[in-house]
Amino acid sequence: MLPELTSILYQFGTNAAFLLLSALGLIVILGMMNIINLAHGEFMMLGAYAASFVVHRGMPFPLAVIMAFFATALFGIVLERLVIRRFYGRELGALVTTWGISLILAQGALLLFGPYMPPIPIPGGAVSVGVFSFSVYWLILIGISVVLVAGLALVYRATRFGLQARATMQNPIIARSLGIRTGQIYMLTFGLGAGLAGLSGALLAPTTSIAPYMGQQFVAPAFITVVVGGGANVIAGAVGSSAFLSLIETPVSLTLGTFYGTMALLVMALMVIRVLPAGISSLGARLRPIVAR
Amino acid sequence: MMRTLRLLNGAHDLGQGRVFWSGLALLAVAFLAYPVVASSFTATNVAYYLLNIPMALGLSLLWGYGGVLSFGQVAFYGIAGYSYGIVAGNLQEFAWGTVAAAITALLAAGLSAAAFGYFVFYARVAAWIVPILTLVLALLLATFLGLTAGYQWRVGDVQLGGYNGMTGIPALQIGGVTFQDYAFFYLVVLVVAACYIALRVWVNAHRGQVLMAIREDVLRTELLGYDVRLEQLRAFVIASVLAGVSGVLYVQWGNYITPSAIGLQQAALPVIWVAVGGRDSLLAVAIATFLLNQLTYVLSSSGNQSALVIVGGLLVAVMMFAPEGIIVGVGRARWLRALKVRRWSAHPGHGE
Repeated sequence: MLPELTSILYQFGTNAAFLLLSALGLIVILGMMNIINLAHGEFMMLGAYAASFVVHRGMPFPLAVIMAFFATALFGIVLERLVIRRFYGRELGALVTTWGISLILAQGALLLFGPYMPPIPIPGGAVSVGVFSFSVYWLILIGISVVLVAGLALVYRATRFGLQARATMQNPIIARSLGIRTGQIYMLTFGLGAGLAGLSGALLAPTTSIAPYMGQQFVAPAFITVVVGGGANVIAGAVGSSAFLSLIETPVSLTLGTFYGTMALLVMALMVIRVLPAGISSLGARLRPIVAR
Repeated sequence: MMRTLRLLNGAHDLGQGRVFWSGLALLAVAFLAYPVVASSFTATNVAYYLLNIPMALGLSLLWGYGGVLSFGQVAFYGIAGYSYGIVAGNLQEFAWGTVAAAITALLAAGLSAAAFGYFVFYARVAAWIVPILTLVLALLLATFLGLTAGYQWRVGDVQLGGYNGMTGIPALQIGGVTFQDYAFFYLVVLVVAACYIALRVWVNAHRGQVLMAIREDVLRTELLGYDVRLEQLRAFVIASVLAGVSGVLYVQWGNYITPSAIGLQQAALPVIWVAVGGRDSLLAVAIATFLLNQLTYVLSSSGNQSALVIVGGLLVAVMMFAPEGIIVGVGRARWLRALKVRRWSAHPGHGE
């Protein structure tokens, strides 16, 4: 009984961690700036490329992952200054523009670096419980997602940047009149979101092949997680949505295959928005008046 | 009849008046006369640049006139293309089989759009959710069709074919005419012209006005008694059927369709055509679609891999520096000045 239970928990955990890692950077940018970054998958690709580049020049993998975070964050900040900041308040314009950027990045990577990068070997071995064996690396990834969410909560709750960012999110005009440099907050938030995408890309790089169009495989899960989560509360949305979706995806993938798992995600997203158009994270705000009554 | 003509000449597209329509008629005549000077190969290529125009016009209606952005019009393009292939392939011994196939294909595109759109529009989601969900739809459809390799994936006599796609799709046949080569060229020109005229009447008619009112202010339109959800769904279905028209024409052109015709890169192209031309002008969108299709076709058939980088860069540049679109920007600059003078004299003190 115990091995079966562990196996089911492991499946749920890996699926939830995958959804969370794919969506975290995206949902940070959406929640704070109301901008959907369609180049998100390509930011993940950049993170993976950066990690692969330095790993094969002798850098240890954990350091490479951290380096990928900073490299992609820097790229995000430059992009925000050059392009994205022109699109605040024009969410459809931002969507279309970031799609153009995504095309340039993916095809540009193909032209510059060729059809694939050297793969990163998957670190850690396997542990077995009963007849099942589990990849140590995926267990670490589950742990890292928990740490990332906790770290993000800490940044938003306990730092000066977090306070100012939440103020900007609630009301940018008041925040600005209180002396908060909202432009700077947006720039750093976009950098943080881009960095998180790069970090996830580097973390997931050993589990997949590193290629210019690798970002595409993250598009469907990441965007569905964000649609279901909504932008009202970044952390609650990301955690709630990835946990909920993995509950749906895991049994379907196990019985019918991965494609139908992703298909189930889309169907669930259509169902959820029919009931909660602003996503799971709006549930808290909806319930509060009822509870208070 | 007069009313329809007045609507056709309406204000909600670039170009009014005798000079404009004479010019457009001349252009149509030039297209119809083109096969006299062109070989059947070049005529078929020109037909290819034209055949995506209905899909682009549909997106223009949806995004430019309705304010609803869809990234997944290629999904309905693909649904129609594959449906046509399945039905036409199975009804090959019947004279009207391909006509039935074309009708089925458009119905399939429209019905699937209605079902998908019901969930999206009746949920009244935020504006950014529609493009995301339609994009995911296109992506999943492409993934699914990629998985359909092998003999077990067949409908009647037709195999779906996985990544290699569906091949040997029969050309449209009405009575004794098979639409190949020059006949196919004429078919495309006529269909494109019909789509443009019908849509131009539509946007200037009542339904079009309501759609633009929704774009300007959802709440106000709703308070005037219109069901915003239904109007948006209607525009979405029309746009998807038009994408289906392009899909049916596309499978005539090459007699095949592969999942990559629905993939992420193809999904970006209609958005680029519409944005570069100018999304709230049908004419500008049609021109941009023709020119950009020619550009990407020439670039990629010469083995140049930078086509996507170029059109992607073009999209970013247009969104940054000419968000109303290049052709509309040029057109309005000249037309509007003349127009404004007239408006000023008609309603003094009511200018912008």
